Amino acid sequence: MPTSGCSLDENPGFFSRGGVDPRAKWLVTFAFLLVVTSFGKYEISRLTPLVLYPVSLTAVSCVPVTKLLRRVLVALPFVLFVGLFNPLFDREILFKVWGLSISGGWISFVSITFRSLLAVAAAVVLAMTTPFDRLCIGLEKMGVPRVLVTQLQFLYRYLSLLQEEAVRMVRAHALRARGNRPKIRVSSAASMIGFLLLRSLDRATRIYRSMLVRGFDGEVRLMKPLRFAWSRDGIFVGFWALYFLTVRFVDVPGRLFGWVLGR
Amino acid sequence: MSHHFLEVRDLWVAYPDGTEALRGLSFRLEHGEAVGLVGANGAGKSTTLLALAGLINPCRGSVNLGGTVLSKQTVGEIRRRIGFLFQDPDDQLFMPTVFDDVAFGPLNQGLTAEEVEERVRTALEQVGARHLAERPAHRLSGGEKRSVAIATVLSMIPDVLIMDEPSASLDPRGRRLLIGLLKSFTHTRLVATHDLDLVLEVCPRTIVLSGGRVEADGETARIFQDRTLLERCGLEPPLCLQGMPR
Repeated sequence: MPTSGCSLDENPGFFSRGGVDPRAKWLVTFAFLLVVTSFGKYEISRLTPLVLYPVSLTAVSCVPVTKLLRRVLVALPFVLFVGLFNPLFDREILFKVWGLSISGGWISFVSITFRSLLAVAAAVVLAMTTPFDRLCIGLEKMGVPRVLVTQLQFLYRYLSLLQEEAVRMVRAHALRARGNRPKIRVSSAASMIGFLLLRSLDRATRIYRSMLVRGFDGEVRLMKPLRFAWSRDGIFVGFWALYFLTVRFVDVPGRLFGWVLGR
Repeated sequence: MSHHFLEVRDLWVAYPDGTEALRGLSFRLEHGEAVGLVGANGAGKSTTLLALAGLINPCRGSVNLGGTVLSKQTVGEIRRRIGFLFQDPDDQLFMPTVFDDVAFGPLNQGLTAEEVEERVRTALEQVGARHLAERPAHRLSGGEKRSVAIATVLSMIPDVLIMDEPSASLDPRGRRLLIGLLKSFTHTRLVATHDLDLVLEVCPRTIVLSGGRVEADGETARIFQDRTLLERCGLEPPLCLQGMPR
């Protein structure tokens, strides 16, 4: 059966299956997000060294940059929307460039957009370089309740099937509707969503039955022990933690700029 | 492997809306028998299979597997001994990878990691799918999914194999491979299907259901040549017999 949707775990390499432990990746990703969000709202230049994280991991993981960019750009409209009103509300002029007045709103808008894209890039790199099951095992080993992790696994497993059922339904509607590009009316959409829910419930019942006949007792057991190797994963976490702390507390671009200019 | 029988006696099943799906069903499978369960849509095939695994509760009657009568107390043991193959492999393959799916049953049986690995390896080899072990199930082709679904059942080393439409949505080659596989098993097998040609090849005995009752039970070749019986039960002779003179 063909699957729709994009693959999230198709890139081999140092950072993927058999490479860095997913717990280490989660830790570093969380730390990255924490640092990215911890800067002030007008901060832009000090965020720039953080680009190194997604870029370097993309390079060592053999992930095509275009693929990464494509997925990051998907989030761009939402990212832009988040900071859209800042230029309207924050009109205080912070500085002038060649006679052009730059308000705080525009600076914070650029900052929000930049840090949001950084965060999305980090999440996309994590997802593209780690099989989903290993990400879930990593979460579970880090103390996330098993029931939530199981829900995530089932969501990932059956999302494509749900999507296929929805596509089939829309296609069936299009074939029986009027016009060249028929629109789905609200009443039809409600009915279709209802059917989709019923079908999902039916499938859930069948899956549960198939679990029961194989001895399911409420606990999903997995047989994939993770191995946190200090010589690899410890160094990975340590290096990035040190780098993030440095970027957070030292004005790296400012110092580099000063050093280049000889000040 | 089974050294037991499967006996269904006077089984009645009604759904909440009042529909009587099974009305006094009785049959017995001996050790190692391969039996086809055929009938028109709504004849009660799937309901029979669900009732055998204790997935729906009968109003009346009994299911006896090798001397153990199905009840609330024994349903766990019965399920351990019955390998149930569902019609849609996507319902059966819910774990992140093929390995995890095949290991799901043995892990629930409380086996050690080594034993589970051995079971998974053997089951996947039996269906010729060892190379798929690390693949996610949703990326497999229809035939591969079916093979892996069978492996998930075999890894539990069941006494009885129960299959619901095993050849559904398989291409001719996949179906041919499945038939070869089913013929190679020595388990007691109950195959519910509309694919009468498959039954003819795999099952020496056939049970015909109609309206929730056993309409006929006997030698497959004899039953499939009885056109009156087949027509009465909403069936047609297998394609390979349709061209033959009466």
